[in-house]
Amino acid sequence: MRVRILALIAILTLLLAGCTGGEDSGSASGKIRLRFQSLAWQKESVDANRELVREWNARNPDVQVQYVQGSWNSVHDQLLTSFEGGEAPDIIHDASDDLADFAYGGYLADLSGLLPERLRADIPTPSWETVTFGKGVYGVPFLQEPRVLIANQKILKASGVRIPTAERPWSWPEFRTVAKKITAAMGRGKYALAWPLKEPVSVTLNLGLSAGGQLFHRRADGKVRVGFTAADAVVPETIHDQVNTDRTASRSTLGIGGSDTLPGLFGGKYAMVPLGFSYRQQIVQQAPPGFDWTVLPAPVGDAGAVQGVSPQTLSIAEDSPHKREAMRFVDHMLQPRNMVRLARGDWMLPTGTAALADPSLRVRRDGWAVGVALAQGLRSAPAPSVRGYPEWKDKVATPAYQEFYSGAIDLDELEKRLVKDGNLVLARYQR
Amino acid sequence: MNRTSTVARAGQYLALLGYLVFLAFPFLWLISTAFKPARELGSLHPTWIPQDPTLSNFRQAFAEQPLLQAAANSLIAALCAAVIAVAIATPMAYVMARHRSRLSTAATGWVVISQAFPFVLLIIPLFLVLKNLGLINTLSGLVLVYVVWSLPFALWMLAGYVRAVPRELEEAAAVDGAGRLRTLISVTAPLLAPGIAATALFAFITAWNEFFFALVLLKTPEKQTLPVVLTHFLGAEGAADLGPLAAAAFLATIPSLVVFAVIQRRITGGMLAGAVKS
Repeated sequence: MRVRILALIAILTLLLAGCTGGEDSGSASGKIRLRFQSLAWQKESVDANRELVREWNARNPDVQVQYVQGSWNSVHDQLLTSFEGGEAPDIIHDASDDLADFAYGGYLADLSGLLPERLRADIPTPSWETVTFGKGVYGVPFLQEPRVLIANQKILKASGVRIPTAERPWSWPEFRTVAKKITAAMGRGKYALAWPLKEPVSVTLNLGLSAGGQLFHRRADGKVRVGFTAADAVVPETIHDQVNTDRTASRSTLGIGGSDTLPGLFGGKYAMVPLGFSYRQQIVQQAPPGFDWTVLPAPVGDAGAVQGVSPQTLSIAEDSPHKREAMRFVDHMLQPRNMVRLARGDWMLPTGTAALADPSLRVRRDGWAVGVALAQGLRSAPAPSVRGYPEWKDKVATPAYQEFYSGAIDLDELEKRLVKDGNLVLARYQR
Repeated sequence: MNRTSTVARAGQYLALLGYLVFLAFPFLWLISTAFKPARELGSLHPTWIPQDPTLSNFRQAFAEQPLLQAAANSLIAALCAAVIAVAIATPMAYVMARHRSRLSTAATGWVVISQAFPFVLLIIPLFLVLKNLGLINTLSGLVLVYVVWSLPFALWMLAGYVRAVPRELEEAAAVDGAGRLRTLISVTAPLLAPGIAATALFAFITAWNEFFFALVLLKTPEKQTLPVVLTHFLGAEGAADLGPLAAAAFLATIPSLVVFAVIQRRITGGMLAGAVKS
C-alpha cells in the first residue's frame, strides 16, 4: 500500500516537473520573440496564416513570431484577463466591434505613429473609421464581409422574378413583392426567405444603413444617444412583415444561426437566405451535388448600396515591448498579395484596394465578383464604437428585436425599448 | 391492487427509459455526426445512422489540430488535480466530520460560500497570483487552480462519507489496542474508499472538461488542453466545422467514460454509503 502511494507521488511529481517551465522570454537570446494570436479557424485560413508566419520567420531570424490559435467564442474574456495580467499576445487578431473597450481601456497600442504609409493609403477611409476610437487608431482592418442573399438559382428562375445585380439590386419594397411571388411559386410549407436572426442586432443595424438608418446619433457635446427615425424602421418592418403578415419568411429560423438554415436551403424549403459572404465556403462544402446556387446583393434603400461591417483586425498590445517589430509583421501579413491569400482562406473580402483589385477575387465563380462589387459600399457599422453598446445590445436591443420579429410587440414598443431603455444604458457609460 | 402496482411499475420503467433516452440523445447524435460526411450534415432530413459513413472527420480533426498532445495535457492536468485534491481533502474532511468545533463549522460555511463565487470573478486575481509565482503557461499552475477549484466541493462530499462511517467501529478498534493512525489506515480508510473514488472522479471530470482557466492560463499551443483545442473548430457567429468538431468531441468523451466505467462499482457503493445514516 505504502509502496503504491509513494510510486503514485513519484509519478505525479515527475509529470508536474515535466510540465513546469516553458515560459517564453521576450528577447532572452538576443532574438525578439513575438506572439501572434490568430482567430482563423477554417483549414484554408489557418494554413494561410501559418504559412505567412513561416515566411516571416524564415526572412527575419532576429524577430521570430509564434503562431497561437485563439477562438472567436471566448476572445473578449480571454484578452481582458491577459491584458489585466500583463500577458497579452503582442499581435492580436480580433474584430473591430470588439475593440472599443480595449482601446478606451488603454490595452491596445495607438497605431497612428506606427502605420507605414503604404498600408495607410491602401485601406480606404471607411475601413479606418471602424478602428478609430477618439483620436487613436487601434487596429488595422483587413478582412470584411457584406451580407448577401444566397439563393437557390433554380427556384428563382422558375418564379420568373427579376434577378438583382450589384448594379441594380432590389429595393426593400421590391424585395417584399418578389418574396411574395417566389413563395407563391414554391408551394405550401415553403418560403422565399429564411432570416437567421439568432443575433438580430448587427444584421438589422448593418442592413439599415442602406435605408439611411443610423439609430445612434452623436450630439454636439460628443455624447451618443439612440434615436429612432422612419429610416430606422425600414429594415425591421420589412422583416417583421415578411414573417408575420406576408408569410414569405419562415418563423422557425428567427432564433437560429446561419449554418442551421443551410439544410433548408439545400432541401428547397427556402429559396434565399441572407448570410455573411463567408458562408459560401460552407455551401461549397455541404451542398448536395448539382445544387445550383448564386450570390445576390442585399436589398437597398434611399441611401443606396451601403452596409455596415465590422472588419477583422490586427492590433498590437500596449504592453508589447516590441511595437515597431510587431507593426513590421502586421505590414508583412497585409501586403496586397498576402491579404489576398488571407481573404481567400476566409472566403471574405480584403479591405486593401490593391488586394481587392486582384484578378483571382474578381471571378464569377462562387459569387466572388458580386462581393467585390459591393465592397465600395461597406461602411463602419453604426454602433460598435459607442461606449455601452455591448450592454445595450445584450440587455435591450436583442430581446426587443427578437420579440418584434416574432410578432410579440409592435413597432411603437420596439422604438420605446430601443430609445428609452437604451438611452438609460448609454447614459451610464457617458457621464 | 397487484394490477395497479404492475401498471405503476411499468410507468416507472417507461419514465426511466424516457429519461435515459433524453440523457443519451446528445451523445448518440454526436457519434452519428462524427461519422457523417459534410454533405450529409447539410441534409434537410437528417438520419440517425450515417448513410455514407466516413472516417474523414477524424482524419481531418487529427490533421488540423494537435489532439493527442492536447489529450495528454488534459490527462496529466486532470489526474494530478484529482489525486492532489483527494489527498488534501480526505484528512481535512475527517477532521471536519469527526471533531465538531467552531472551526469546523466555520470551515463548512466557507466551503458552501465558496461555491457561490462565479469563476469570472476569480480569474483575474488568480491570474495575477499565478503570474507572481511564475506559473502562467504551465500545467502545474493549471493543476493548482483545478485543485483549489474542486477542493471545497470535494471536502464537502468527503465529509458526508466520513460521517456515514460509524464512529463505533473506530472505538472498537481503539478498544482492541489500535492507535489513531492504525485505526485510520486499517478501519476508516477502507470504508471511505468508495467515497474517495467518487470524489476523485468528480475532481477528474471537472478538470478534464474545464475550459476557461485553461484558455486564459496556457499561452503556447503545445500546452493547451483538449477543451481549448476543440474550440478551434468553432468560428464567429455560431459557425462551426461540425464534422471534425463532432469527431474530436467524441474522442474527448472517451477517457471520462473509461474512468467512469473502471470505478463505477466503487462509486455506486460510495453513493450508497454516503446516503445512508448509520
